[in-house]
Amino acid sequence: MPTKRFQWSILLVMAALLGGSWIVMSQETAVVRDTGRTPAPIVGHPAPEFELMTTGGDSYSLATYAHPDARAAMPVILNFWATWCGPCRIEMPHLERASQKYEGQVMLLAINQMETPAQIDTFAEEMGLTFPLLVDQDRVVNNRYGVINLPTTVFIDANGIVREVIIGTINQAILEDRIGRLLNE
Amino acid sequence: MLPTFSLGPLVFPTAPLILIIGAWLSLWLLERSAQSLGLNHEAVYGLGVVGLLAGFVGARLAFVLLYWDAFQQDWLGIIWPLHTGYLPLAGLVVGVLGAFFYGRFHQLPPLTTLDALAPALVVALIAVSLADWLGWGGFGTVTAVPWAITQFGLRRHPVQAYELLGGLLALAVWWRLLIRRRFEGQLFLVTTAVYSASRLFVEAFRDDTILTGDGYRLMQIISLAILLACLYALRQLTVDS
Repeated sequence: MPTKRFQWSILLVMAALLGGSWIVMSQETAVVRDTGRTPAPIVGHPAPEFELMTTGGDSYSLATYAHPDARAAMPVILNFWATWCGPCRIEMPHLERASQKYEGQVMLLAINQMETPAQIDTFAEEMGLTFPLLVDQDRVVNNRYGVINLPTTVFIDANGIVREVIIGTINQAILEDRIGRLLNE
Repeated sequence: MLPTFSLGPLVFPTAPLILIIGAWLSLWLLERSAQSLGLNHEAVYGLGVVGLLAGFVGARLAFVLLYWDAFQQDWLGIIWPLHTGYLPLAGLVVGVLGAFFYGRFHQLPPLTTLDALAPALVVALIAVSLADWLGWGGFGTVTAVPWAITQFGLRRHPVQAYELLGGLLALAVWWRLLIRRRFEGQLFLVTTAVYSASRLFVEAFRDDTILTGDGYRLMQIISLAILLACLYALRQLTVDS
């Protein structure tokens, strides 16, 4: 019996040593991991840059907010939507509440898909939306972010790195959960 | 790689569908393995169902409780949407507790029940790997090995395929040990040890892994802890037997 116990002890120590060494060999830093990647709408990659206008003519670019060199760096939430999309309509009040609650801490930008400024304005008035609704009539930014299904929400940290992409409806709690994570990073 | 797929006008999210199929396969395998081990297979199947349901509901309820204020304005949000909004750790705890009390109520022998659960758990973890690959877009580190796959424009380790192989290896070990089982709990401990060792190794090739503050891979640390715990338990049980 003592021999068997000894053999198991040797195996345990070997596993601890080999496993521990492998963990140390596999170590990497978050800084190394998040740099040198091509911009893509994929978790861990820098978010693709864009510049779009609201219906009122105000210009918004990603780099103004979510970029290491941004003057007022903060996380950005991109919500891709359209007026005909039922689930988008459901989540708009949640986005509006979050934009007011986290004003100055998180930038919430809703990027429309291929609709006219007039359609967007009518929708904004009907829903009482005050956060920036950006026009993407040519679908350039929608394509850049590979948006197929609506709604799609992209969570980007203050360094411009994509942290999560959610396809489908989100609610107030999900928003608060993800915003909390972005702010705590 | 394929977050959604379409069937006519209907669009389905890939990951939840794979997880549902994985859960069904796990339960089927659980019943079969319980039969092989001479257990009350209906009670063991029930244990699996209770564990899954308790885990699912527990993960959701914990999330709802955490963000209770937000749900005050959105009661429907408690039950919809279901594709996100869970606390997995809470789900794991509630699921394990649910299964534990169900097993005690039905007087299932704990170690043999764990032996029957082992392959079902591995299949469930394989389903999670596949869901990660196809639905959530998990990806490996960049490499030049001949079997690399192209993901997001770069040649990468097919890390979820490695996980799948690790899972199949653990299943093969379970199957091989089934007729040679020397003591209760052996199948569960050996299968878990093999699977943990494979994840400890494979996790090094994952690019979208969670890192600790020092840059260590969290899943590797968890895998090593589980592996050592299994080996320690095997040491004790082998000597006792």
